Amino acid sequence: MTAVTTGPRPVGDPPAGEDARARFFAAAPAPEGGAAPDLRVRLGSLTLRNPVMPASGCFGPELAPLVPTSEIGATVTKTVFARRRGGNPTHRLTETPMGMINSVGIPSLGTDGFVREMLPRYRAMAAPVIVSVGGLAVGEYLTVMDELAGARFDGVEVNVSCPNLEHGGLDIGTDPDAVARVVSGVVARTDVPVLVKLTPMVSSIAEVARAAEEAGATALTVANSFPGMTLDPRTRRPVLGNRVGGVSGPAVKPLALRLTWATAEAVGVPVIGCGGISTVDDALDFLAVGATAVQVGTAHFARPFVMAEIARGLAARCAAADATRLTDYVRTLGET
Amino acid sequence: MTAPLSRSLAERVVPLPPAARPEPTWDECRVVAHEPVGDRYHRLTLRAPSIADRALAGQFVMITIPESTPSRSVLPRPMAVHRRRPAEGVVEIVYGAGGAGTRALTEVAVGEDLLVTGPLGRGFTLDPGTRRVLVVGRGIGVCSVMGAVEDAVATGVEVVAVTSARTTEALVGPGDLAELGVERVLAVTDEAGDSAVPALRSRLAGELADGPPAQVFVCGSDRLAELCRSLGQEWGARVQVSLEAHMACGLGYCHGCATAATTTGSESPLICADGPVFALPTGGGDR
Repeated sequence: MTAVTTGPRPVGDPPAGEDARARFFAAAPAPEGGAAPDLRVRLGSLTLRNPVMPASGCFGPELAPLVPTSEIGATVTKTVFARRRGGNPTHRLTETPMGMINSVGIPSLGTDGFVREMLPRYRAMAAPVIVSVGGLAVGEYLTVMDELAGARFDGVEVNVSCPNLEHGGLDIGTDPDAVARVVSGVVARTDVPVLVKLTPMVSSIAEVARAAEEAGATALTVANSFPGMTLDPRTRRPVLGNRVGGVSGPAVKPLALRLTWATAEAVGVPVIGCGGISTVDDALDFLAVGATAVQVGTAHFARPFVMAEIARGLAARCAAADATRLTDYVRTLGET
Repeated sequence: MTAPLSRSLAERVVPLPPAARPEPTWDECRVVAHEPVGDRYHRLTLRAPSIADRALAGQFVMITIPESTPSRSVLPRPMAVHRRRPAEGVVEIVYGAGGAGTRALTEVAVGEDLLVTGPLGRGFTLDPGTRRVLVVGRGIGVCSVMGAVEDAVATGVEVVAVTSARTTEALVGPGDLAELGVERVLAVTDEAGDSAVPALRSRLAGELADGPPAQVFVCGSDRLAELCRSLGQEWGARVQVSLEAHMACGLGYCHGCATAATTTGSESPLICADGPVFALPTGGGDR
């Protein structure tokens, strides 16, 4: 038998020696100069070092030790509501074929709690901060924006699609007039770029996209998780405490890709593709159909460093094609 | 950590006081051993020096199901660190292959690598004054408490251990407990008919008549957690319980594993970040 070698040990120490995480961090591409391809993309006045950012709700400061945030384009916060919210009852998530379903219910500290407790932790990471703003009515979005006045962040993403909240009925994002009212109100209250995260659950995403663009949106994020339901095979009862939730992951990628393409065809502002992206090829698919940037969500859970992996992959693809700029490389995609 | 979460138990737990914990990492961990245990579990030995060296008792890891397996699982699986062997740079995990993801995991061969994130969560706290501790585990719940047994043994705290299972084959931990030199082990099974709560209760009362434990650690069964709560009340012992949940991130940012959240007010504690180990108030004078 092996001798007992365990016991209480000091805590708070950094990882000992070599592990894959340490090697990954150490392999960071050289910062400036040389032949590193230019991956920069612009969202209005905001220039990102590369087009890779997280999807709201699938990222947090807890990931800072696991992914080099100096290698991602931006961070996006969990959606902030004006008032503190507890979120939905358990179960809140489960796996589905090639994906997952969740109805977390967006617990929020409220705007003041967010500014006090969470925003500084986002600002401590080495990437621009995009604050996701939510509301259960047009007025709540504007209240959050008013309460954010004075706080420092680099962009806003207006979440007009919360398909998994218990406050059923039509999402604000399905009504082009309501979207326009929210977006113009938010734009009037900030100097930073305003992204609008559209809901996939509309008959014409082009119509909602144009309404957001005309109301002053800087860019459009397409899209959100898709409403769905899953049952426990033993009980034939819903797995989720909220009964229904949002489906995400590779299963929804073709759906999101079509919506991204349709939106990019319809508007002039940049589109940010989101839905089932977990590899550099997934990201290139979205860029090829007209997206300027991409958001990564569900893939964080299995691969916490996935955003940096995709960003490095984009650089490698550009370099392999002798492209000095990602925008040049993307232009060649789909050419025969 | 795949059993359904019991709301009644989860609603009654209280977070332990904050304590320092190691910063999580991730590693591509070589599988150095992987074999079935009895008829339902599998023991996985991973080369993971930075986790083996730093994991605290009761902490867990997230194991990513490889993309090469047919399950196409997008969620990693939370699993308790069963054994830490820092001198050899390995950790041991025991898991049940209940779903598609864990069944796919059983196909991963020795010599292949698995992506592991950890160590994660708030573990068990062995209080400085504790001279004797009772640990109780059902099935693979034994894995969550085994780290606390390692710590207790290393610091000279006497351990009384209960490992419970449906069958003798499915018992987890007898070998580990023997290796660690724990002599007072009650291995009980449904098969033998000695795992029922009333029977176990009277055995424990007899076994510990010479002096009740100051602390009780339990995992893997709501009924056993309730027994521990009741015994803890009787003995004036402090009870800690490790909970199980569906998880996605394991770190706290996805908020998928709240213990008993409601739609109003503040969110209840997260099992991954505030737990998985919580205090279970006994109703006595413990906390």
